Amino acid sequence: MNQKLLHTPEGVRDIYGKEYAKKRKLEGSLRTLIESFGYEEIQTPTFEFFDVFSREIGTTPSKDLYKFFDKEGNTLVLRPDFTPSIARCAAKYFREEKAPIRLSYKGNTFTNTSNLQGKLKELTQMGAELINDPSVEADGEMIALVVEALKKVGLKEFQVSIGQVEYFKGLCQEAGLDEETELDLRACISGKNFFAAQELLNERNVAEPYRETLLKVADLFNSMTSLNDARQLAHNERSLAAIDRLEKLDHVLECYGVKDYISYDLGMLSKYNYYTGVIFKAYTFGVGNAVVTGGRYNSLLGRFGKSAPAVGFAIVIDDIMEALARQKTEFSEEEILKLYYHPEEEGSFANALEKAHHLRQEGKRVALLAVEKTMGGEQA
Amino acid sequence: MNSFNDEHYLTFALGKGRLANKTLEILEQIGISCEEMKDKNSRKLIFVNEELKMKFFLAKGPDVPTYVELGSADIGVVGYDTVLEENRNVYEVLDLGFGKCRMCVCGPASARELLQHHERIRVASKYPNIARDYFYNKKHQTVDIIKLNGSVELGPLVQLSDVIVDIVETGSTLRENGLEVLEEVCPLSARMIVNPVSMQMEKARIRDLVLKLREYLGR
Repeated sequence: MNQKLLHTPEGVRDIYGKEYAKKRKLEGSLRTLIESFGYEEIQTPTFEFFDVFSREIGTTPSKDLYKFFDKEGNTLVLRPDFTPSIARCAAKYFREEKAPIRLSYKGNTFTNTSNLQGKLKELTQMGAELINDPSVEADGEMIALVVEALKKVGLKEFQVSIGQVEYFKGLCQEAGLDEETELDLRACISGKNFFAAQELLNERNVAEPYRETLLKVADLFNSMTSLNDARQLAHNERSLAAIDRLEKLDHVLECYGVKDYISYDLGMLSKYNYYTGVIFKAYTFGVGNAVVTGGRYNSLLGRFGKSAPAVGFAIVIDDIMEALARQKTEFSEEEILKLYYHPEEEGSFANALEKAHHLRQEGKRVALLAVEKTMGGEQA
Repeated sequence: MNSFNDEHYLTFALGKGRLANKTLEILEQIGISCEEMKDKNSRKLIFVNEELKMKFFLAKGPDVPTYVELGSADIGVVGYDTVLEENRNVYEVLDLGFGKCRMCVCGPASARELLQHHERIRVASKYPNIARDYFYNKKHQTVDIIKLNGSVELGPLVQLSDVIVDIVETGSTLRENGLEVLEEVCPLSARMIVNPVSMQMEKARIRDLVLKLREYLGR
């Protein structure tokens, strides 16, 4: 036997038995929830043209993409996430549509991360995108859906952090930063690297009081958790509009009754230029990174030829599974009933089958098993 | 959301050696001590302060960012060289100010000339990522990097490489071997790093700790 045949490559794995049952169940209940908000499921291809996930559009660095060629020499990519694919679909099939479009998806994503870091290269993601709706209610719906989803899978301790990228962009504009400095600063702040931010601002000769203001955004220990503090700091329309919007969002979330799980963090930024408004992440114990990420991306669809606002989120199912396991929280699953019959005995099989049939109609899970001759077993 | 937090230990991963000792000294100054850890004969790997609900463990420097990134430790203390080299997804929250030294390009004086032009040269280092970033992105010089695991100073002496990229404290090892600092890459010191999820889930405790440390360190 060739032992090598039995191994899977690093970063991918088999999921079977109880674990897979749990995963399926979890996906099923999340799907039901997302559907109950009026989302329609969509399936996109596992691989697409490189350009769909290229630097201007995607959030995965090109070196972390699985790339290969087709026979014409086009570069193809295994999807690292779904949002660009969904945006492409929406632009293609709903080009003239003006009413809100609600799409959801589930599938595996692939990132070619480094070896030996304990990270999976193939992950199952589930998510939803709400297109053509620029309203704050749409933002609220997304975040409420995330909270409901995490509650539904049985997580008790989790938190959704909300930021607004426009706030920071406004401050940068106010300080008159050039694009390069803004990008560099955003990289520092999204990594919460206060020193690098400080150094950068000194190096680029950013004037006071802007330097201090920007550093306050970077400093997560004086970080602006209250919207009011953040309002005091800004003196430009763009930032103030961002705060107004968050206050309205806060009201919407209150209506949804999910405010207990919400906190604000205006220092939360994305390294990428992708998000244009609200941005959020959900955290829980037991996993080293956010289990849900999402936000508003009003310019992405424009790249595919349909100018439309959109907001969405993605849940990493494998991370949720891990968090549940680490927190020793069981996502309740239904047991499989075992019904035995004696193959040798007349009528035993028919009898068992009839019983199984009834139980199955009641929605129970039933497995029929033959009792082997040598071993005694319970008859149906 | 506090029921779970009461049960949750704040876990520290400390880089073995001087760094850990110095960190414990400073933590003691702000009222966080771990008696268990002072027992030098102990063979325990994890030390607990039940009262403060804190756990400590020692790890090899380069592993500290790994423990923190994957969430096995909430907080880590490690040299900035390791933070740069490992480049993990962690928040860097505090410069502890001790363990000060420099990351430098070193070699024989004759090698200085090689750094002036964009010539292809050989660089030996324990820190291939830092060396690569410095030569490729800052100096725009193409180099061959050779990873070594120790006694990097040997590189130029046995003609393994033209220069080395390494930590310089006093520079006495360099001098004794006829080498010198040719360029400085960056200053180094001990840093406190935090797992991004812990930062959200344990915000109050971590914030409290960092503010106390900041006050003590006078910054």
